Amino acid sequence: MSLPYSVTLALQSLTREKWINLISVLTIASALLIISIAAFVVYNIDAATRSLPERFSMVLYLDDDIQKDRIDGVITALRRNSAVRSLRYIPKEEALRELKSVLKNSTYVFEGLDENPLPDTLELKLRKEAIGPEAVRRLSDEALKIKGVREVDYGEKFLAALHSLRAGTKTVGIALIVILSTGIIFVCYSTVKILFYRRKEEIETFKLLGATRAFIRAPFLIEGGAIGLAGGLISLFGIFAFYYAILLRLSVTMPVFKAVLFPSGPFLLLPGVGIFLGVAGAAIALGRLRY
Amino acid sequence: MDLIQFQNVGKDYDNQTALRDVTLSVGKGEMIFITGPSGSGKTTLLKLVYLAEKPDRGAIYVGDVETETLRESQIPLLRRTIGVVFQDFRLLDNRNVFENIAIALRIRGIAEKEVKTKVFDTLKMVNLRHKADAYPRTLSGGEQQRVVIARAIVADPTVLLADEPTGNLDPGTAEGVMRTFKEINARGTTVLIATHNRELYRNTGRRVFTLDSGSLVGEVLG
Ligand SMILES: Nc1ncnc2c1ncn2[C@@H]1O[C@H](COP(=O)(O)OP(=O)(O)OP(=O)(O)O)[C@@H](O)[C@H]1O
Ligand SMILES: [Mg+2]
Repeated sequence: MSLPYSVTLALQSLTREKWINLISVLTIASALLIISIAAFVVYNIDAATRSLPERFSMVLYLDDDIQKDRIDGVITALRRNSAVRSLRYIPKEEALRELKSVLKNSTYVFEGLDENPLPDTLELKLRKEAIGPEAVRRLSDEALKIKGVREVDYGEKFLAALHSLRAGTKTVGIALIVILSTGIIFVCYSTVKILFYRRKEEIETFKLLGATRAFIRAPFLIEGGAIGLAGGLISLFGIFAFYYAILLRLSVTMPVFKAVLFPSGPFLLLPGVGIFLGVAGAAIALGRLRY
Repeated sequence: MDLIQFQNVGKDYDNQTALRDVTLSVGKGEMIFITGPSGSGKTTLLKLVYLAEKPDRGAIYVGDVETETLRESQIPLLRRTIGVVFQDFRLLDNRNVFENIAIALRIRGIAEKEVKTKVFDTLKMVNLRHKADAYPRTLSGGEQQRVVIARAIVADPTVLLADEPTGNLDPGTAEGVMRTFKEINARGTTVLIATHNRELYRNTGRRVFTLDSGSLVGEVLG
């Protein structure tokens, strides 16, 4: 047997204090599982909504009977605006043609229409940085000030809602992760503290026989790490079970779930995260105990 | 050369003085006895040597170092040079006899193979080879006492502090333990024995210090 004696002591304590350790492991596993599911939900909402703003466009309706040089003036003014990525001019004839092709089975709508009722329009695509409720409103106001622009149309409510959804889920997700990680550290801290008090006699004797601080501390750090590792492994198993046994099965009957992304890479870090939090909790406990 | 020196040492507990103005020195390789009635301060004196307590007055030297000047991290190193037979045994209930003795070696980072041979050799010295797997609770008082002695000597300490080491032993066994101490002392270990038992030091020719209410009241040859 060539294991360092501190490992032996940690293993002894792990088996002697089965119940305390088991409860800690399960608590940590549940917390890590909730963290994983939260991260998973945030990740999916983020991924599903990330590309939406790129498709976002702003439509400018121009004055009736606008002159060609005025149109050029509007286009030049907009080109100069740094928020504009690209710009397409749609003359009212083309707009009508497009409309007719969309409604080709219902051309009767246009019967008896001898004048084109549509205005000339400009369709703007914005730079990614410029897509936010505030920036878009500012651009819209600026555009309205340009002579020849009659009306600006953009999905104001949609944009605001999307923005707050993304920001909201991220905030809630991060808050949850921070709170639960702190909770895990606290569980390890309390567990090590309890284990320490239960072994106080023994530790006192070790010290009188000449044990160093490192000799006394090492088993607790190992034990904290082991508890964290066990919690991490169980949560890893849990999140994969959640995905394969629940989501994949649901997606058979409910195709919506097919779009769900499962970032398995980061989840493989869970055991490592568990070890880190476990050792951190143990270290804090040992730092605060007098011995 | 003096290995242990007490200079005007005083020690108080809460509201009572346990040692007052004690000055004595023990030479390297010497074997001495400390006697005196119950509560006279024998255990306290030994505790000051292995730093389980700190003096309130005076200075204590072990080797060349004044114990008060030791840094926290150096205390374990000093304790490793000292073997202690605790009056209250301090055996670990959840470990068997072998493990109780082995722990003294493991704390010093000694390799497992050496641990085995040393523990069994020491168990033979105290006649407990057959009890290696027994747990302290299942042993008689005298057997427990011999386990404590084995743990104190297993790592070949420079100093052996034995607090009432024969309190639970019949005269025959006590004599055996004393023979062991003499052997260890003959190999160079300095031995301090605190005891009420006159038989232990009678006709030994060793120095015997007598404490009374915390004061050193006599030094005679046994
Ligand atoms: N931890 C303590 N707290 C308070 N008082 C103590 C403590 N330890 C010892 N004392 C007191 O100090 C005095 C000396 O105690 P000590 O244990 O040194 O005596 P002793 O000579 O070893 O006695 P015995 O022969 O009974 O073992 C006693 O009066 C005891 O009550
Ligand atoms: Mg005593």
